[in-house]
Amino acid sequence: MSTALPRRRPGYGQLNDSNPLVPYLYLLPHAIFFFVFVIYPVGYGVYVSLHRWDLLSESRPFVGLEYYRALFDFSTPQAQFFWKSLLNTTFFTVISVPLLVATSLGLALLLNRPILGRAFFRAVFFLPGVLTVSVMGILWRWIFDNQIGLVNAIRTDLFGNQPIPFLTTEGLAWLPIIIGTVWWTIGFNMTLYLAALGNISRSYYEAAEIDGAGTWAKFRFITLPLLAPITLFVTVTTVLASFQLFGQTLVITNGGPSRSTQSVIQFITEEAFTNYQFSSAAAMSFVFGLAMLIFTYLQFKIMARDAKGGS
Amino acid sequence: MAMSLEGSRKISPRQPRRSRLPRDIPRFVLLCVLALLFLAPMYWMISTSLKPEVDAIASPVQWIPARPTLENYREVLTSPDGNMLRWLWNSAFVAVVFTVLHVLLCAITAYPLARMRFRGRDTWFWVVLGSMMIPWVVTLIPTYIMMMEFNWINTYHALIWPGIAGAFGVFLLRQFFLSIPRELEEAARLDGANSWQVLWRVILPLSVPALVTLGVFSFMGSWNNFVWPLFVVTDVDMLTLPVGVATFSQRYVTEYGKLMAATTLASVPVLIAYLFAQRYLVAGLATTGLKE
Repeated sequence: MSTALPRRRPGYGQLNDSNPLVPYLYLLPHAIFFFVFVIYPVGYGVYVSLHRWDLLSESRPFVGLEYYRALFDFSTPQAQFFWKSLLNTTFFTVISVPLLVATSLGLALLLNRPILGRAFFRAVFFLPGVLTVSVMGILWRWIFDNQIGLVNAIRTDLFGNQPIPFLTTEGLAWLPIIIGTVWWTIGFNMTLYLAALGNISRSYYEAAEIDGAGTWAKFRFITLPLLAPITLFVTVTTVLASFQLFGQTLVITNGGPSRSTQSVIQFITEEAFTNYQFSSAAAMSFVFGLAMLIFTYLQFKIMARDAKGGS
Repeated sequence: MAMSLEGSRKISPRQPRRSRLPRDIPRFVLLCVLALLFLAPMYWMISTSLKPEVDAIASPVQWIPARPTLENYREVLTSPDGNMLRWLWNSAFVAVVFTVLHVLLCAITAYPLARMRFRGRDTWFWVVLGSMMIPWVVTLIPTYIMMMEFNWINTYHALIWPGIAGAFGVFLLRQFFLSIPRELEEAARLDGANSWQVLWRVILPLSVPALVTLGVFSFMGSWNNFVWPLFVVTDVDMLTLPVGVATFSQRYVTEYGKLMAATTLASVPVLIAYLFAQRYLVAGLATTGLKE
């Protein structure tokens, strides 16, 4: 055997696996899109929010934090509507999140033990979630229609009551939005809970039964604590999704009556795409984005636990 | 490992069927009532779509259409205000192209991150993963302005490219690729395969469950996307189905028979897709980056 073989040094010129550039070549296509559509827009957004960006004018003067300051000057309609819409969105989140977490856990518990038609029930509860938001919105708008909707029709048919104008009464307009959202998204969370319940070893319950624990005690002291990580995940993702409320209110109430159900995202998009105030809208989305960041950070932390486990 | 093959099997543990019928009856009845409540809105949608307008708003409520008709469907499909079949095609085209490109791009990116050693690998992985923390609302306006600058408003480009570099897909596939035994790759290497061949002949064929999961998610995500197409497309022929149906509802505010025909038509493709993809959808959901 010849020992005089020249040692192969990494060759940057040839395209085979000894080329140390190979891994980077694999990463390149994604990296290009990643920079153009993820990293660059963030910086561009900062730029837009710091300039007076006018669609008709070529000049875009630097205005510094003017648009951010305007958000805290409550004499402007922008500031009033922005904070009102943020308040609306917060209200929706506060009401719907506990509802969505509790009901999906309840459903998952009902379906956890084997029962006739389990797969069927699972499919039925998941089914509404595959509908697109506009279908879901139009459907619930119809059910809660002021005069002739199903809810009002049943009230008049069976109880002889006057119809309630749900969609145009402040406060009540949230009903179709919240009920529709629960109906629409419950299956998603239920599935996550079912997966987590399936991973709980039966031996815990058997041990507890020997100690004489009843159904409630088993739920309280075994199921609930073991579900804590998934509950955290479900809660955080549901909060995140709820704060991004948009399609439901747009289709069901169009933000009305008198902006009482307008969500932040709806107002930001109105400011940008109806009023063409891109700079103002960009500033709003950064202020709102900062608030969202807390929840995204939490979700990220929960998911990162897993990524570490893999490497 | 979150994405191991065993993991996906654990999702629906086959528990021994025990017959505890009497105890199960209340639970079964409760489930049936809930299932009826969940299905009722959809039943109402379909049944309204089959009624002439007078019957749709008749009092007392007509649970079963007394004079069933397909007139609403005919009118919706031939409406001058928008072509539902065209919207269906737009949605399908965008969703299919997006899904194929997205899954491919994520796979090619996840491969070196999972199975090669090089400087900056972990840093890059965390940068990509970290980008998931950027709330999408932050990039909405600048990306829209970019679309105007590219002259991409009212084109398929605007609907396909901006979302193509996902971080979640890279994360999901990397986790799965990590779980594939090294020996399989080494055997292929001994047979003279290069890294590209290893990716296509060893890694990807073994990753079909993960690829399908990501594919189903990408497809549903693209198909149901509402906010972005709503603004980036205004030309009635370029609308996607969800947005098209929404514009329909602004025009036919109170003609619920027609509206329900439109929403039913818009739901049929997803419902069929759901029946086929249900297993993957549910399994994929259960592994959305979760260990337990």
